[in-house]
Amino acid sequence: MDVLHFLSIGFSVALTPINLGLVLAGCFFGTLIGSLPGIGPINGVAILLPLAYSIGLPPESALIMLAGVYYGAEYGGRISSILLNVPGDAGAIMTTLDGYPMAKRGEGGRALALSAVSSFFGSMGALLLMVIFAPLLSRLAIEFGPSEYVWLMIFAFTCLATMVGKRPIKTIVGVVIGLLLATIGIDSGTGILRFTMGIPNLFDGVDFLVVVIGMFAISEVLILLESWARNDLKMTPVGKSFVSLSDMLAVKWVVLRSTLSGFLIGVLPGTGASIASAVAYGTEKRFAEGNNEHFGEGDIRGLAAPEAANNASAAGSMLPMLTLGIPGSGTTAILLGALLMFNITPGPLLFEQQPQIAWGLIASMFIGNIALLIMNLPLIGLFVRLLSIKQSYLVPIIVMLTFVGIYSIHGDSFDLFFMIGLGIFAFILRKLGFSLAPVILGLVLGEVLEENLRRALSISGGNWSILLNGTMTYILAIATVAALVAPKLIKKFKK
Amino acid sequence: MLYDRIFAGALLVLSGLIAWTAYHFNVPFQYEPLGPKAFPIILSIVLAICSVRLIVKPDANAWLPRKDVLIKIISGLVLMVVYAFLFEEAGFIVATTIVGAIFSWLFGEKPLKAFFYALALSLVSYFLLADVMELNVPTGLLFGDIF
Repeated sequence: MDVLHFLSIGFSVALTPINLGLVLAGCFFGTLIGSLPGIGPINGVAILLPLAYSIGLPPESALIMLAGVYYGAEYGGRISSILLNVPGDAGAIMTTLDGYPMAKRGEGGRALALSAVSSFFGSMGALLLMVIFAPLLSRLAIEFGPSEYVWLMIFAFTCLATMVGKRPIKTIVGVVIGLLLATIGIDSGTGILRFTMGIPNLFDGVDFLVVVIGMFAISEVLILLESWARNDLKMTPVGKSFVSLSDMLAVKWVVLRSTLSGFLIGVLPGTGASIASAVAYGTEKRFAEGNNEHFGEGDIRGLAAPEAANNASAAGSMLPMLTLGIPGSGTTAILLGALLMFNITPGPLLFEQQPQIAWGLIASMFIGNIALLIMNLPLIGLFVRLLSIKQSYLVPIIVMLTFVGIYSIHGDSFDLFFMIGLGIFAFILRKLGFSLAPVILGLVLGEVLEENLRRALSISGGNWSILLNGTMTYILAIATVAALVAPKLIKKFKK
Repeated sequence: MLYDRIFAGALLVLSGLIAWTAYHFNVPFQYEPLGPKAFPIILSIVLAICSVRLIVKPDANAWLPRKDVLIKIISGLVLMVVYAFLFEEAGFIVATTIVGAIFSWLFGEKPLKAFFYALALSLVSYFLLADVMELNVPTGLLFGDIF
């Protein structure tokens, strides 16, 4: 079996002491970051990325740690949702609906334990699906030419526009801003300077890290300043923490269904945990109708569904990132950017040429999930106590880490000012109802999109019909149209 | 005036500027049909269409900050700019102590406690970041000789 052979390579990478240590550290910090209200997985990965880059970790180790932070944060997001009624990140919003009522009843421990177990089975199920589908998808993708890649990216942006956020038009604007940011710098085809405004620091293009930290972390600090007024959060007591077999059996089908839907939504480009958990919650609510349903009042099914789904989607969104180079969510867009910084181009060849990276990451996720389950059952009290860390202690640390991280890349203050400027811009975007994930997706995919478009037209000698040439381009074009009209049709049918 | 209209108007101007700049790129040689101009021009057209659509159909203003909140946000911003100025010049320890203390105070800590917290934070993290993780952390002119 090919898969088993590659998995064994993966485990031999993931089980080296340094990588084992990094995955544990990543999961621990991820849970911590996820549980602190306001700092979600995107911010966590963004803040730690420049540090991982600057201390010179090998690419697979850096990726293993950052991925650990990512899915660790998806675990941690539920803690503040359940105990404080404040979601740690967007993917944990649905968890508040039934988690918090349970905590109010004094069943906080039961809710935390059950959601940890659901998260665990969600991720593990999605990982198994990933092991099965990754080789298949990469074998399919190896046939892709430039036209197919152009379509794939247009498909990704269409999914993003029609499924994320209230106003598709604002999502498209975000994507275009990201794509335009990617054009800044020396054009690789002709060597001319584009949009550098004569600033030497921009000749190499905008630094991915500066944009990510500026847009996410700096704007987050401003948002925290704004929302600081509501600091009187009341913590409900945890109660006894236990997992009972009867609870687990009661939700086994819920977890299975939510894992499948979460995985699929995660694989779809651009749509991440927040949509996965919302869909799973809605589906289970309909399934449970007439069957002793108490959704919204602390039903364990309403707690298990979004938790299994958002963790499954975190694993699912890694699949297109590794096999196609198209990130499945905002956070994986940052991981993709991280890989590109290490001069590794994800895509179908990654699995064949650098199995230690792709399979090392997958293997480390198996280990990380087991570690997370252990951390989240007996050690849950530790994270709960950390929840009460004051923002007056936290914010100086965040600001310091962002500045050190950005400064240490080039040792140039220009990057710090540029980062703050981008932070202000991102703050305005957020206040106007734009989401930032599309901008980052546009930024990481900009160069690839332009390159493939230009390559396709070089092949055809300038004839645009090459974009509709071959079965795969037709399929992708039809999928794009489907993504464009499906949400509208579904809305109509519901009426 | 709706924020969306102002923003979309700015984007519209920007898309014009981008298209104009891209159109005037001086490309001495080019081996492929598309070249470096086409992609930015296509993007600026998409951006222009979206901006016009936003101007025609803007969202209502959802953000109405109170004056004291606005002052807080602006002071946080100024503080970060100050940090960026001090970072290289005064060095990590001094800059982090000053800026960290004020940030801590902005989030409701008592001044003296905020100062000692920031001082401890900057000293401990300097050791961790510069010595343990061997990152490029500026010592600054003041302590340049000591450390």
